[in-house]
Amino acid sequence: MTLAELQARFQAGVLAGHEDGASILESVKNSRRADRTTLFGVYVNAYRLRFVEFLVADYPALRALLGEEAFQALADAYIDAEPSRKRNARWYTSRLPDFMRGDEAWRGNARAIDLALFERALTDSFDAADAESLRLDALAAFAPDDWPSLVFGFHPSLILLELSAGTTATHTAAVEGAELPEPSAGAEHVAVWRADLDSVYRALEPDEFLALSLALDGHAFGDICQMAAFRDESEASPERIAQLLTGWFEEGLVASAGVRGEKGE
Amino acid sequence: MTRPAPLGFGLGLRPIYYEEIISTHPPVDWFEIISENYMTGGGRPTAMLERVRADYPIVMHGVAMSLASTDPLDVDYLRELKALAERVEPAWVSDHLAWTGVHGISLHDLLPIPYTRESLDHVAERVMRAQDFLGRRLVVENASTYVTFRESEMSEWDFLAELTRRADCQLLLDVNNVVVSGFNHGFDANVFIDAIPVERVVQFHMAGHTDNGTHRIDTHDQPVCEDVFALYERAWRRFGPVSTMIERDDNFPPFDELLSELARLREIAARADAEGKRSEAA
Repeated sequence: MTLAELQARFQAGVLAGHEDGASILESVKNSRRADRTTLFGVYVNAYRLRFVEFLVADYPALRALLGEEAFQALADAYIDAEPSRKRNARWYTSRLPDFMRGDEAWRGNARAIDLALFERALTDSFDAADAESLRLDALAAFAPDDWPSLVFGFHPSLILLELSAGTTATHTAAVEGAELPEPSAGAEHVAVWRADLDSVYRALEPDEFLALSLALDGHAFGDICQMAAFRDESEASPERIAQLLTGWFEEGLVASAGVRGEKGE
Repeated sequence: MTRPAPLGFGLGLRPIYYEEIISTHPPVDWFEIISENYMTGGGRPTAMLERVRADYPIVMHGVAMSLASTDPLDVDYLRELKALAERVEPAWVSDHLAWTGVHGISLHDLLPIPYTRESLDHVAERVMRAQDFLGRRLVVENASTYVTFRESEMSEWDFLAELTRRADCQLLLDVNNVVVSGFNHGFDANVFIDAIPVERVVQFHMAGHTDNGTHRIDTHDQPVCEDVFALYERAWRRFGPVSTMIERDDNFPPFDELLSELARLREIAARADAEGKRSEAA
């Protein structure tokens, strides 16, 4: 048997999730103390345990919400459906929320999916790329006429989420081991980013979520004011957007600013 | 062949100990990082590594190069690894004689190979290509294994010795893995140690494992056991001063316990050195 054939058989046996009947066993010897099924089983068992551990580490609140049995069922379904195609194990768990959204057994559980999305954002934010935050006084370099054309770059750890109402409260209760709140109707908007080397988050009002989403998409300050006003006339004045912008700077979310279309933007 | 100067007695840099290491500056000669843990972007892992690196030599140890896989070498991975090495400036870069998956899949495990001439040709060629890409000599570690393949044509130690000769690579001798694999496959760990070419070994790994009765598993969640300390003494006598470190990856004890284990390794090495000098004088 060639090395390629042996590796294909070995992997198929591990992915099948049980050592009995694996064709690779034809190539494996019994040891003095253990039969070959037991010895190959070390790899089979370790595979599932290791992948479940990855999920447990990255989705502790989801585990608390679902309970041990349901979380294990979810982990089993995910592991069976999605073998890792990432070289670095860090990224294996990233697709869990997407899997839940597409899976018949989970797609109706918005509370669980949104909690998974929130936990993934905390993980992604934690080790996102570094960037220097821009100080607010850097804006003094721009002439007032340039303001409508200002576009901003944001810290790579910034992630915006629209979640079922109560998702962050559920997360807080879960990580503190407290009783989980009852599900609530509606939506909540959240910004997740990294501050002082840890993931942090803050609730956003709908107008701030809209404005920050537009800014993150590369829209200029003037466009954001117009689009926000169009969608929500009551609150989105240029003064309100400017106030929000100041807050983003103070929280270290802004990493660059430039005039749209100019070199170095 | 010139071996790099020994770094002394080190530990694995693990997130649970970051704060203690940075705030207490413990008497550890060097730290080994798991390369992949720092190939993510930025944030705390990168910041902590930078702080530790300011005070201690660093060695990079990877688990994902998949040197023995029949899939193509992952050039994107090697590029990231090379970029990390350029930032970290490690004393050396190591990975395992193992594969992690085929057909684009990773099982995120260090999987065993049959010790055949075909495997040797394949792995030697890949080690050489990885070395060319990284622009440095690789240090290859013997992995713990649980199965013996009927296809094998030679021992693990003969395979490793020949691999180092053909690929001109160096070795990270995992003393615990020799004990674990020796128990699982019924070979004498001393024979393994005695067959490894002295000039190729640049690092020792020490760790704890779990004894399941019929087989032992390389869990890194226990203190180093007496069998492994005993084999370490033999290895030290054979290979001379070699950079030594303890891997602990789970069931983390207070940091002082790791320092105590490290102190014991220093004592073993000092005793072996003193006895060596006495016998030379006699």
